[in-house]
Amino acid sequence: MSKRFCLILIAACAASPAAAHITLETKQAAVGSYYKAVFAVPHGCKGSPTTKIRVQIPEGVIAVKPMPKAGWSVDVVEGKYTNEYDYHGNKLSSGVKEVAWSGGKLPDHNYDEFVISSFLTDSLKPNTTLYFPVVQECETGVSRWIEIPAEGAKHSHEGNSPAPGVKLLPKP
Amino acid sequence: MRLFAALATLLLVVGFATGAFAHAALVAVEPASGSMLAAAPKSVELRFNEAVTPGAVRLIDGAGRARDDARVSASGETISVAMPPDLPQGTAVVSYRVISQDGHPVAGSVIFSIGIPTGTQPPANVDRGLNALIWLARVGLYLGLFVGIGGVFFARCVAWSMTGLTVPRVALLVGIPSAVVSLGVLGLDLLGLPPAALATVAPWKVAFAASAGPALLVAVVAMLLAMTALRSAWYARACAVVAFIGVGLSLAMTGHAATAPPEALTRPAIFLHGVGVAFWIGALAPLAALMSKPATAALPVVNRFSRVAVLAVGVLALTGLGLAIVQLEKPSALVETRYGTILSIKLGLAVVLLALAALNRFRLTPALAGKGNAASALKRSIVLECIIALGIFALVAGWRFTPPPRTIVPETPLAIHIHTDKAMFQVLVSPGKAGANDFVLQLMTGEATPLSAKEVTLTLSLPERGIEPIERGASLGPDGYWHVAKAELPFAGRWHVRIDALVTDFEQVTLEDDLELAPP
Repeated sequence: MSKRFCLILIAACAASPAAAHITLETKQAAVGSYYKAVFAVPHGCKGSPTTKIRVQIPEGVIAVKPMPKAGWSVDVVEGKYTNEYDYHGNKLSSGVKEVAWSGGKLPDHNYDEFVISSFLTDSLKPNTTLYFPVVQECETGVSRWIEIPAEGAKHSHEGNSPAPGVKLLPKP
Repeated sequence: MRLFAALATLLLVVGFATGAFAHAALVAVEPASGSMLAAAPKSVELRFNEAVTPGAVRLIDGAGRARDDARVSASGETISVAMPPDLPQGTAVVSYRVISQDGHPVAGSVIFSIGIPTGTQPPANVDRGLNALIWLARVGLYLGLFVGIGGVFFARCVAWSMTGLTVPRVALLVGIPSAVVSLGVLGLDLLGLPPAALATVAPWKVAFAASAGPALLVAVVAMLLAMTALRSAWYARACAVVAFIGVGLSLAMTGHAATAPPEALTRPAIFLHGVGVAFWIGALAPLAALMSKPATAALPVVNRFSRVAVLAVGVLALTGLGLAIVQLEKPSALVETRYGTILSIKLGLAVVLLALAALNRFRLTPALAGKGNAASALKRSIVLECIIALGIFALVAGWRFTPPPRTIVPETPLAIHIHTDKAMFQVLVSPGKAGANDFVLQLMTGEATPLSAKEVTLTLSLPERGIEPIERGASLGPDGYWHVAKAELPFAGRWHVRIDALVTDFEQVTLEDDLELAPP
């Protein structure tokens, strides 16, 4: 019984359009510039309302400031960067590594957006995709939008839950 | 008494298991056979279920060339074949022949591909002609030991007369060369050499080093002593007795029945069993000849033999039962394995043999004291016994080629090895056939250290049959591996396996490969 349900679910998921993933609203951005990352959350976890959104900040993205959100509390986790970055004449070697919105409740049938302001350092490589892995926690269950395709791999493995990404453009 | 006879029948039959041989079995190979490697392995490790000695190990490289620069080293249960550094891309084959503790060869091949698979084939190992020769030589050896030495012992120590020794004499003349041939073909078999190599010293040397070598030597000496005992001399009886003991010793020195634990019990059991067979079967030919003599001469001999024979049958039966239990492990093996099939056929023959023996003992022998034609009836019965005994020898010699169930290693699960820079997953699937399968996932990092994961998911699909991904969460077992029990894989075919290991909340390692699932 549950196997059949599972199969149907998998089939349904596989058939859903890409919009059913958590994605970034702005699909491309130049390195060495500010980037307003808008995470679009189109649904809960298999029907269950969303209660927490955690975003991992990739290396090379600094000056991260999450936008507060009514009904949600926002927390950041700070940590050391692997490299040191020059930001308006200051050397930054640590900063926000993770942002989490929690305490709210986003029903499955509603849509919402979670926003972060950031700076994409020019240490990032243009013409690649920068991924922001997201963990979506719900009343029941977790969806992990953390799949990052292997470099150069373009084969069958079309992940079920890709991490939201932004295409990096060369510095203007 | 009847109960005892019935029990004895059963036990005796099972008891012929003495001649059984079994072999070491390959337990694990690294790299796994059939694996696809990015680079040539430094060595191929073969692990067996018991200590083995390397016989012949050959390497055929991806270009199809036979290489002679693979170095073989052995330590106990493991044989390591060091690969030459310049192994080209393609499918390489390591074919091995190793010598089990019982002195018999085990052969097989390990295939792995470096970079790309090519059509390199393992060499064919089975040489039917050689196997037939091994079998014939063994039948001849049994004739020499049981009919020959047993016959001489009967004449010298039971009958106290040299009547009817033609058959034992011929049996000895067959047995001695058979033992020598056995030694030679054993050497050929161990090294995987053609018959022409008998002219070289290598096969003989290897055969002598194996446990079967000294055992055959004892057999030859025993048969020579029996030949001596044919002549009338003051020491003839002593020679017959020593030769008789030699039968048991020779059999107890080699073979898997002798090396089966506990050896302190199995070796004496085989000794007694062999001696029992020699006593009983050896007496048949001289007894048959004796039947042509006047009953007054035959009767005391037959009576003397009968009294001891009951004891011999009892010993045969008990030792046989014990050995069969050790070798078979469970009754179902009697029908499920080739070893068991031979045992079952032998059971049928031995029941007939026992029935004849009982007829002789309880009807015809008492009748001998009475009127005329009992002697010819007894003679016919004994000749029939001889024929059946020969059939049993022929059958038992076939055990040389079938391992007893005790040593059969349970079917190894299907294994795939997925290797990327990031991680290395070993996936064991048992039974590896369509139906419910248990998965064991062994996760390692690219540097071969254990990879700790928070969650592991196994996803299976069969694109060729349109079966969409079936997802199953794995659970971490106390053994440190991740397990998925009873995953339903309804069809045979090339299944796509995908394993997602969640390393941190935001990072997961995904490896994928295909798995060839056999029909049930």
